[in-house]
Formats: sequence, C-alpha cells, structure tokens
Amino acid sequence: MTPGTWLLLLAGVLLLVHLGWTTWTLTRLRRLEGRVRRSWDVLDGALLRRAELAAALARERGSELGEQARSELAAAAAGARSPAAGDREAAENALGRLLRRVPAELQLPEAADADVRVGLARRFYNDAVRDTRSLRAQRLSRVFRLHGRRPLPRYFDIDDGQDAVVTGSAAGGGRAGG
Amino acid sequence: MRIGLVCPYQWDVPGGVQYHVRDLAETLRPLGHHVQVLTPAEHEESLPPHVTFSGRAVPVPYNGSVAGVQFGLVSAARARRWLRDGRFDVVHVHEPASVSLSLLVCMIARGPIVATFHAATTRSKVLAALGPVARPWLERVTGRIAVSDFARRVQVEHLGGDAVVIPNGVHVPAFAAGPTLPGLRRGGDVPTVGFLGRYDEPRKGLPVLLQAMRTVVGAHPTAQLLVAGRGDPAELDRLVGDDLRPHVRLLGEVSEADKAAFLRSVDVYCAPGLLGESFGVVLVEAMAAGAPVLASDLDAFARVLEDGAAGVLVRRGDPAALAGELAGLLGDPGRRARLSAAGTRAAAAYDWSVVAARILAVYETVAPAGGAVVDGSRDDDAALLGPPSGSERDSTFQGPFRRRVRH
Repeated sequence: MTPGTWLLLLAGVLLLVHLGWTTWTLTRLRRLEGRVRRSWDVLDGALLRRAELAAALARERGSELGEQARSELAAAAAGARSPAAGDREAAENALGRLLRRVPAELQLPEAADADVRVGLARRFYNDAVRDTRSLRAQRLSRVFRLHGRRPLPRYFDIDDGQDAVVTGSAAGGGRAGG
Repeated sequence: MRIGLVCPYQWDVPGGVQYHVRDLAETLRPLGHHVQVLTPAEHEESLPPHVTFSGRAVPVPYNGSVAGVQFGLVSAARARRWLRDGRFDVVHVHEPASVSLSLLVCMIARGPIVATFHAATTRSKVLAALGPVARPWLERVTGRIAVSDFARRVQVEHLGGDAVVIPNGVHVPAFAAGPTLPGLRRGGDVPTVGFLGRYDEPRKGLPVLLQAMRTVVGAHPTAQLLVAGRGDPAELDRLVGDDLRPHVRLLGEVSEADKAAFLRSVDVYCAPGLLGESFGVVLVEAMAAGAPVLASDLDAFARVLEDGAAGVLVRRGDPAALAGELAGLLGDPGRRARLSAAGTRAAAAYDWSVVAARILAVYETVAPAGGAVVDGSRDDDAALLGPPSGSERDSTFQGPFRRRVRH
C-alpha cells in the first residue's frame, strides 16, 4: 500500500477513536446532568423541610423563644421558602444561623434529622456538580463544547458545619467554593 | 427499602470489609428492610440464603494483603441477574475503586448507587493509578461514604470526590457483657495488658510494647502481657527474649467470642501501632468491652479516643513514654475506672444501631421514596435470561461497546 493509503487509514482510525470518545463523553455528561438534577431535587426538598420545621417552631414555641427570636425565625423561614428571595444560599445561611441559636431543649424532635439530611443532600449535590465541572473542564470536551447549551452547574455553599471533619492536607481540597 | 449490598472480597475469608457488609445486612434486616448481598466466595455452598455467589475472585497478593480481582464476563452476567431479580431501591457497593465486583456493578447498574470507601494507606498507590480509569463509572455513584477521615482524604485526593464520613460499626452489646477468659479477671491480682493484631507485623508496634514492658515489670513484677492474633510464634519468642518470657502469654488467633472475652479480661488494652490505620475498630471494641485504652497518637486512634478524652494517647514508637503511661495506669485503679466509663460512652456512638441509621439516612437521600428502582438490564438484554452460556458471554461482551454507540 502507498503512504497515502496508510495516512488515510490512520486518519480513519483517529476519526473513529474520536467519535467513540465523543459519544462516550456525551453519555457521561447526560448522565451527570441527570444526577445533578436529581440531587438538587433532594437538596431542595431537604431545605424546604428544614424551613417548614423552623416555621413550625416559631409558631408553636413562640412564647418560649421570645418575641424577637420568634419574629426573626419566622421571617428567615419565610425567606428560605419563598422562591422570590433572590439569593437562596444567603437566605438558608440566615435561617441556619438562627436555628443554631435556638436552645437544644426548645428544638422540635425532627430538627436534628432535618439538619443531617440537609448536610447529606448538600454534599451529594456538590459531588455531582464537581464531577460535572471536572469533566467539562477537560480540554477536548471544552473545545468541542460537548455540554451543548447546558448551563454550568453551581455549587451550593451554605454553612452547615459539614466540612470541619477533614484536617490536614485535604482540608481545602473538598470544597472548591464554586 | 430493598437494599443490595456488594462485597468485593471473598465472603468466607476473614476481613474488615466482609464483616462490615455482613453486620450491616444483619442490622438492617430486623428493621424490616429487604437486604441481599452479592459477593465472591471460595465455597459457594457455604453462603447463607440472602447472599448471592458472584464467582471466585482471583486472589492477587498486594502489599501483604490479598485483593480480589473479579472482572469476568460470567461475573458480569451474574451481577446483572442479581440486580434484575433484586429490584433494589438502592445498591450499596464497597471499595469500588479497584478492579473488582464493586466496580463491575457500578458499570452495570442504573439507578441510585451508594459507595463506601474503606481504603487504608497501602492501597492509595493502586488508587492513584486506577482512579482516573475508574472515574467514568464512579461518576454514577450518587452518594459516597468514607469510613474514616483518612479514607475520605484518600478519596478526595485520588478520586476527586468528596464523601460523608460514617465510621465502621461495632456490636457494642456483644462486647459489653459476657464471660471473661478462664482464669482471668479485670482488676485481679495479676495486672494484665492486652495486645491484639498480627504480632509479627512491625507496623502494629509490638516490639515497642515489649520494650516498654521491660520497664513496666520493674514496677509491677506480676504484670502480664496477653498477645492475641496471627503470626509466627517462633518470631515472637525471639522478640520476647528470656527476660520477658514469664510475663508474656501468647493466645494466638482468637474467635470473635474469645476476642470479646479477651477484651473484657484485660486491665489495659494497648494499641502501639506505628503506621497509618484507616480506622481503629479494635479500639472501639476494647472500649465497648470496658477496657481502658492506651494507644499511639495516630490520627485514626486520636479520633476514636476523642483526642485523649476516652483513652490515653502516647507518642508513637516511644517505648519510654509508653512504659511510663502503662505503669501509671496499672497502678491507678481509679483512673482506669474513669477511662473505662469514658470509653463505654464513646463506644456507644459506634454501635451498629447508630451507624446503620446513619447509612439508612444516606440511602433515603440518594433514593427518595417513589424513585425508580436500580436496573441492571437493558432493553435488548433478553438473551441473558436464557441458560446457554455462549449467548450470555456474547451479549455481556458487547455491553459496554453497544452502550457507546447507542447514545
């Protein structure tokens, strides 16, 4: 065979490999999109549950909490629940801060569980976001814009005390504050 | 919930991961969950009914331990069938970042997957090499659990993901009450120090403890060191030497029940380990058995002992410091009683009932009620249902390639 044929063959093989890789990456991106969406739904649900519990706490134990704490808590719970409140992270942070100030004996029995669920859901959501972002950051998938019109998913960062457990070299490695 | 657990190591060979999976299944089942296990084993006939045989793992010796490599086509077909028959709400794979059954299940299963990483130091090299290769499939894992901060760090560094830390569980009640070893009693005339682990592995630190014992017997001439675990007795005898021989008693390998009895008998449990342990299960077991714990200051140990609140920490590899603490503890029953109480309280957090509840919360987070079940089959998978092994092989072989083309 002539050198030309060889070159043509080589180009064909390269093209095939590239096509295979592209379809594979597209599959991964689509799968990750689903994972981000599902984990967001769970996180959204967990945050709403926490806000509802906070509102219930303000309603039912208002007298023990004191007027100021009660009204602040009710406002923060409403802020976290209302989609119109522009910055969800700030609203959730405000609510979380107020909830942490409530004495343990006044907390509703489900509160601790709701907190744990928010922490888990947030970690799993951010995990999905991180996997998506790192795949999209690869040079080839960036150059070929394999993500299409999908928006880049955002990390959801609130202060829930979840990141305190890792010490040492990986302390900052987990959460790349997005 | 319908839960499918995948254990990548041979079920009938003793090991931390196997025990973890077994205990998790045994804890979840009485809570009303449907739990099935898929695992390789040496002898298929030895498996209990809820455990499905996936084939024999090819043992690959690695760094002193044995990694089970299982990546066959038949295994894939068995995993697929198990997933289909189980109709699980969530599949929980263990140690998926190795060429194992767990990774295979990650490749096959569609739906909510939880993964637990147990990795200890020695495997991080493998992880570093394998991480990027396994990554596309690990992306399917919705929720990741690490059994310790150390395992979480390995996960973050080599696999680029984060994980929730949920420690290994211990059956606290099984350690808390029961018989002691015959002829031994905590607080008896003979002060006893316990050591458990492979005694011929220097990283477990027995030589340091023996060195310290030489000083301790000066202050407590009747003190006894009880050594339980596997190893070469001749090697131990050489390490012990003539001067210590009357003070060291080798119990050898002990059963689970004897281990608990041993931990209930000793006055002080000592863990002089020198190198990274992922998680100090045996420390928790000792605390559950009410033994005051004296351990070297490894990160994992410090965490279990709550930085010294639930036990005594001593600089690793320092026989003089160890001897000082040990002699002090043996001579102070009041302090031992306080440590024992603190240890019992700390161990309660590791009881399987607590740990399983935390794992269930993870399951419920990745698989909210009303979600789809995990599926292992594809539309065109019908050929697999038939018994002929030829067609089985064909369609599993085409699996990953076909998937690429379809999308």
